[in-house]
Amino acid sequence: MIIFPAIDIRGGRCVRLTEGRFDKEIVFADNPADMAERWSKAGAEYLHVVDLDGALAGTSRNLDAIENILAHANMPVQVGGGIRTLENIEKLLSLGVARVILGSVAVKNPTLVTEACKKFSGQIVVGIDAKDGEVAVEGWGVRGGMQALELAQRMAQVGVEHIVFTDISRDGNLSGVNVEATAQMAMSSGVKIIASGGVSSLEDIKKLKKYEDLGIEGCIIGKAIYTGAIDLAEVLAVAKEK
Amino acid sequence: MNEKIVIVDYGMGNLHSVNKALVKVGGNVSISSDPSVIDAADKVILPGVGAFGDCMSNINSYGLTQVLLNALNSGKPFLGICLGEQLLFEGSEEAPGVKGLGFFQGQVEKIRTDFKIPHMGWNKLELKSSSPLLCNAANEFVYFVHSYHAVPKDKSIITSVCDYGTQITASVGRGSVQAVQFHPEKSSSVGIKILQAFKEWQP
Repeated sequence: MIIFPAIDIRGGRCVRLTEGRFDKEIVFADNPADMAERWSKAGAEYLHVVDLDGALAGTSRNLDAIENILAHANMPVQVGGGIRTLENIEKLLSLGVARVILGSVAVKNPTLVTEACKKFSGQIVVGIDAKDGEVAVEGWGVRGGMQALELAQRMAQVGVEHIVFTDISRDGNLSGVNVEATAQMAMSSGVKIIASGGVSSLEDIKKLKKYEDLGIEGCIIGKAIYTGAIDLAEVLAVAKEK
Repeated sequence: MNEKIVIVDYGMGNLHSVNKALVKVGGNVSISSDPSVIDAADKVILPGVGAFGDCMSNINSYGLTQVLLNALNSGKPFLGICLGEQLLFEGSEEAPGVKGLGFFQGQVEKIRTDFKIPHMGWNKLELKSSSPLLCNAANEFVYFVHSYHAVPKDKSIITSVCDYGTQITASVGRGSVQAVQFHPEKSSSVGIKILQAFKEWQP
């Protein structure tokens, strides 16, 4: 199972938000590339980068910080946040980003997802944020009304191979990941799912790992490794256990 | 004893991540497309991302073909990465008619497998013969992104393979010239060890 340490960028700096709220921000590093190096030293294999300014603006904003992370990460990097056009996707991939994550645009403009999957096979990830099983779109202010499982199945039909599934009621709360909902999405869609939101203990990793063969590719860890609630090296060791 | 390592810049590449990784292991490294700098370097790295045809045509238009051939034949340590590995062969199915550098005999062929192409992600290295760079890499996972792979005429130059529904050439080498299909600069601590081994290598 792949563990994706998260680096959220706002104003060029590495921050964490609680429950996706911009007024609940803590700065962890002035230079996000320092965090990339830190997680790289701990043995991480894949980074998950979120451009928070991009998410608000609807287009990538922190390109310098992203380039800097790419130069320091010595591992593949996936990037999300406000990516809504093929040009934006192409720009990020040309910088050396391994996969791009499409968020709310997947609900609003499924055609883009279809085209992107055709053009950049395997490099498109869709982020589905849900609260109580329902899709949340456009930052986390407004909810869409579609069931998350249904959206995952639609994404599978248009060629999406990876989904980041975030239970936003748990993100940044360290309240435990929603393993059952994540596994259900993997099984019903056939898409590889990356669990996100609320991963807080080695127990969470062990639980997710049970579903690895059913399609849970890995999980994103944010706050828990920043606060020191869990140690990334330990998490990686558990994720690699047979 | 800090030998000059040059990363060849021909407009196609993962230059900065390779550069940073080498800086990290204490390499005296620079990025250059200047033939005289490449000629004067003690060690040469040829990276590469994209398509075989585009890479080869850039090498030609940057006027680097001869200096690369000189470096390959000079006995100085040479490392090809990804497309930089494939370019060492005679040609590629990806770009029929385009001549590669031809240091190794054989062609680059499309990966024929039931699995998804491109082969993108972490895969396990199985060592086939001794390589000065892979001493710490047996059975380790490294990161790949490619749709084609080298099929050398002389199989004994294959230093490692991986399984992707078919056997994929993961690295090749002969004497001072070693080349890897995967991306050491994106392969976490294992990759760093490979680059460090290159930095310290005295063939």
